[in-house]
Amino acid sequence: MKISLDWIREFVTVDIPRQELLDRLTMIGLVADTVEERDGDAVLDLETYANRPDTLGHLGVAREIGAMLELSLKEKSWPLAELPQATTEIADVQISSENLCPRYCGLVVRDVPVGPSPDWLRRRVEAMGLRPINNVVDVSNYVLFATAQPIHTFDFGKIGGGKIVVRKAKRGETLKDLDGRTLELAADMLVIADESRPVALAGVIGGEASGITDATRDVFIESANFDPVSIRKTAKKLGLSTDASYRFERGADVGFAPQAALMAASLLTQMGGQASRGLIDVYPKPHKPKSVRLRLRRIAELLGVDVPESFVVEVLGRLGFRVEAAHKGSWRVEVPTFRVDVGREADLIEEVARFYGYDRIPSEFSPVRSFDLSVNRKRERLGRIRQTLLGQGFDEVINWSFADPEREAAAGSGLQPVDVQNPISSRASVLRTTLVPGLLENAAWNLNRGLEGVHVFELGNVFYWEGEKHREELRLGLVSTGLLPGAGWTSGPAETDFYVLKGALEALMEALRFEPFAFEERDHAYFEEGRALALLYKGQPVGCLGILRKSLAAAASVDRTVFAAEIDLTGLFEKTPKPFQYAPVPRFPGVSRDLSFLLDRGVAYQEIGKVLAKLNLPLLEGFELRDRFSGPSIPADKVSLTVRFRFRHPQRTLVAEEVDRVEQDIVGHLRSAMNIQLREGKIDNRTRAN
Amino acid sequence: MADLKDRVEGLRKAFEAEALKVGDAKSLEELRTAFLGRKKGHVTLLFEDLKTVPAEGKREAGRLINELKESVTVRLDAIEGQLSLAWPSVSGTSAEAKLDLTLPGRKKYVGAAHPLVLFQQEIENVFLGMGFTIEEGPEIETDYYNFEALNFPPHHPARDSWDTLYIKDDLLLRTHTSPVQIRVMEKKKPPIRIIIPGRVFRRETPDPTHLPMFMQIEGLVVDEGATFAHLKGTLEYFIRALFGEKIKVRFRPSFFPFTEPSAEVDIECIVCGGQDKSCRVCSGTGWKEILGSGMVDPQVLKNVNIDPEKYSGWAFGLGIDRTAMFAYGITEMRHFYENDLRFIRQFGAK
Repeated sequence: MKISLDWIREFVTVDIPRQELLDRLTMIGLVADTVEERDGDAVLDLETYANRPDTLGHLGVAREIGAMLELSLKEKSWPLAELPQATTEIADVQISSENLCPRYCGLVVRDVPVGPSPDWLRRRVEAMGLRPINNVVDVSNYVLFATAQPIHTFDFGKIGGGKIVVRKAKRGETLKDLDGRTLELAADMLVIADESRPVALAGVIGGEASGITDATRDVFIESANFDPVSIRKTAKKLGLSTDASYRFERGADVGFAPQAALMAASLLTQMGGQASRGLIDVYPKPHKPKSVRLRLRRIAELLGVDVPESFVVEVLGRLGFRVEAAHKGSWRVEVPTFRVDVGREADLIEEVARFYGYDRIPSEFSPVRSFDLSVNRKRERLGRIRQTLLGQGFDEVINWSFADPEREAAAGSGLQPVDVQNPISSRASVLRTTLVPGLLENAAWNLNRGLEGVHVFELGNVFYWEGEKHREELRLGLVSTGLLPGAGWTSGPAETDFYVLKGALEALMEALRFEPFAFEERDHAYFEEGRALALLYKGQPVGCLGILRKSLAAAASVDRTVFAAEIDLTGLFEKTPKPFQYAPVPRFPGVSRDLSFLLDRGVAYQEIGKVLAKLNLPLLEGFELRDRFSGPSIPADKVSLTVRFRFRHPQRTLVAEEVDRVEQDIVGHLRSAMNIQLREGKIDNRTRAN
Repeated sequence: MADLKDRVEGLRKAFEAEALKVGDAKSLEELRTAFLGRKKGHVTLLFEDLKTVPAEGKREAGRLINELKESVTVRLDAIEGQLSLAWPSVSGTSAEAKLDLTLPGRKKYVGAAHPLVLFQQEIENVFLGMGFTIEEGPEIETDYYNFEALNFPPHHPARDSWDTLYIKDDLLLRTHTSPVQIRVMEKKKPPIRIIIPGRVFRRETPDPTHLPMFMQIEGLVVDEGATFAHLKGTLEYFIRALFGEKIKVRFRPSFFPFTEPSAEVDIECIVCGGQDKSCRVCSGTGWKEILGSGMVDPQVLKNVNIDPEKYSGWAFGLGIDRTAMFAYGITEMRHFYENDLRFIRQFGAK
């Protein structure tokens, strides 16, 4: 809201330095974003709040300044040159939608010489950033910006039958507005009509046909009060926002309507017109003033400071409230009609606090009276995930929750995406159903900027419809492509591969103690055929990983092989891992044996574990793959594996012979179940003495 | 038996003495063969001798020999590891023995956390230290939780500042984390002392300081006797923890539908200190708006069946993105979502 300091002085004396005024206004909640110098005047661009329509005019701001500086508002008289004729003899006002128009005031000013405004009025209008039009239009703008009460002026000669009817629009009615647009009126819109047709869209904009022109002689001044919700709906539906609708939808001062009409009439009569006698004031259900109980004790309880009684009474009085002592330490406060925001004790306490000064309220530490001892398991787990993946060399990203519907469909999550009704752009018109495409775009962005490898993860929600219900699911997504970070002068650059990603997931599941987990070959729309695994926990799939489909990578302009994974954390976190228990650190040494053998290419490595799990091998502590190769020295349908088996007895040192026996047992079973062939001379038991 | 024990000890000492002299791979292999060689290794021979030990001492003797074998093996492996680091055969300064210690160190690459996550954690940690707990809630919300329960009447212009992306008439992307306040108050009784971080969405046209998605964190305290003075004291402490002891803070009146009285909190401009009239950050005012706050509106408490006569509350909220921008001097909010690793790694790892 533009506020001219010169104009403010019509209502209150301001004689403190400008910077001090601005600083003090800030501290009662009125912040000037900018100050514009205009020949001797200063025009502030004041931030206003949706609940304070009274500050959308100079009078309201002057009232705030008055309360702040402890000054009274100036009295100003509005003399009127009146005709002998009563307004009711000339015009007739009927309200047929009382709910939407609680009050309607009007009068006629005859023989107005329409023409340029006097200089003082032009200056006022220009200070508001408007172009002066003519004295009648300028007067209505003057009243609006002076008092926040919008008024409208009609060419009375164009009002059929001299009849003003406030009613809802009829089906099919249209109105050509002051800007020349033809508005299609809906049946719930409130209009001002004459005896036959709408002449204005109530509280929003006037009609062209009844607008003021150079030919206008008699002016009908409307000063009314309209239902905020109705005005807002109408303005929104038509995509219109005017100075009037802006104020009405926030709530105009129902008590001030007559005064605003008289102010306008006074100004027009000062310019040569003559006002009809007496105001038409249709006010079927006069507003009952709100009365609010205010307790001194409550002020201290909410603010944490004792504000003197005298201060409370004084400041509320200056703001226009009527304060009456009820009981000791308690008042009945009557709320003026211009304060549509005040209706409860807390609202009054805010007024007291604003003028007492937030800076005078002490700063105290908020006491803790009890602790919430519940453990936030989800946050703890997310912390572990993050820590593990950072440790594995993955960087963290955050992508948009919005997605391009085409990209989403191409990715093939198989989930029904949630549409945004009013998206920012058509390329962000659905919510993502998968994290993978976003991560792929991160890879593209960074590869295009010269990075040789991208290894990233994101923790975030995906959204989808499941029948009528929307679902929100926390996911972890990973993408790995290109060179791995950490190459140095001792070790050259290494390219990432599927097992880097798989290792990260294994580390993650271990860090979360979701063990044992398993992988199973299972195709997925994200991945190349035969190049994908499902991650399973307690037999249920909780995620997938694999080599991304080439076409997806190509669509994102990535020409390197991309490895990706996605885990459903909502699903995973619903499962309960076995409670952690420590195992005593072994007291006796173990023995390791490395076994090298050939395996048919068609047999999966994880079959070894399956075979061994079926045997009763109490001494076998575990086994790891140490080496794997194929090449000219090996038949084409085989691979060579070296597996290290670890043996230990919990209560004593093992003897070589018993390890030998178990080893033979293992070899025997692997041979019969998987057709392994021991490589000659390749039994190695860490003594390295073959 | 005693004889064997002595021999084991003797061998252990002999091995230790020899091990100290190992300087290269060749001498290491010689030592390994001498002790563990399959035919004539000292330890191997001990196992041969074990066969002659009477049954009652066999178990104990076996244990001793196995222990010796294990410790020898471990030690040999350790020496091998050291040798692979090019452990110099002799220390010294001869040209041959010279080791270039100025070569760069070998670092394991550790990934970089996203700067917004790091900043959020910094904020969370301050409040966790003050006895707050963390709550979260859904990103798709109903009109009731996002607006109505928070005292935004339907069709009120106050909603204009929370421009909304809609899913269906009653379903929307939350415009702030405040709906979680309602969800928590519905199920927990005071005292409540929580912070709520999360993604929020607004129908904003992207510009350097506005995006349709950003991160917010808010806090809520509901208790008997909660006051505006507590709000001030706690938030001042928080801001000092984040921006340093000396930072100036001011509270000024504002409006939010869900708090009454409401306050905007400004901090001193750390970019120009109010000295630069054309400062990008504070436009020369010297102050930067950092968070919104206020006493919980009594209507909000009523909406969740908490008696506003008995309990009062205070709440605050801040944009993590904008605060991080201010703290790090970042001029474009979109950097946070471009995920350029050259940007992200500056905050976590390099």
